[in-house]
Amino acid sequence: MALSIKHQFYFSQSSNMVWAYLTNAELLQLWLMKNDFQPIVGYEFTFNTKPKPDLHFDGIFYCKVLEIIPFKTLSYSWKGGPGDGIITLDTVVHWTLVEEAKGTRLLLEHTGFDEVKNLVLQAGMTEGWVKHVQKIIDHLNAAPHGTTNV
Amino acid sequence: MAQPMFDAFQVIADPSRRKMLALLYNDSMTISSLAENFDMSRPAVSKHIKILQSAGFISIKDVGRERYCTLKQEGFNEVREWMNYFDKFWAAKLKNLEALLNNNARN
Repeated sequence: MALSIKHQFYFSQSSNMVWAYLTNAELLQLWLMKNDFQPIVGYEFTFNTKPKPDLHFDGIFYCKVLEIIPFKTLSYSWKGGPGDGIITLDTVVHWTLVEEAKGTRLLLEHTGFDEVKNLVLQAGMTEGWVKHVQKIIDHLNAAPHGTTNV
Repeated sequence: MAQPMFDAFQVIADPSRRKMLALLYNDSMTISSLAENFDMSRPAVSKHIKILQSAGFISIKDVGRERYCTLKQEGFNEVREWMNYFDKFWAAKLKNLEALLNNNARN
């Protein structure tokens, strides 16, 4: 089971217009963060923001373009940490655009918050342990997230 | 000697510590019985236990002459903190985008 954050927004603009705001570095900076994004699969880029000491985060998200289907989907890895090349957050951001009669539906899914699951898989657990860990995952899922904004 | 600070992810990154957490999931264990499962020195085992304790994954309680380790769930809170952070983050950023696009449409 994947722990993920989902948001959905509806815009009255065309998918081409919304796509531009997702893939043009200058337009992207206007609403998201300073970045050096380029719409090329495999391209590595960063987003820069304020550090968050509470989260042991130095303010740089290290990203790599994973998939592009023009005007439809875009995904990139989204990593971060306290600095010195230490990565403590290893996630993926997926964007999906759906063209509708009078606009565009934009879906965001931020996935990979699966450390608890990885803990289970990598440690070679028994079935009983997996069942117990399911409880932690359920507990984490009970946290207030996954809000959908339409 | 000062104990270095480890965050939840660094704690989980070590296979010995993951195995310790796995062993402790079923029941509390003494440090000695935990150590029996590892091919490493007792001080090395103690060091891992200290890290698990300082990160909030386990608590240690003295019962007679034995020290018992018990798994706590608080160590997993960091994942939740990140998720809460990004949930608000994306909601705010997408509102920015909405405002930009609407502004654009009017001009």
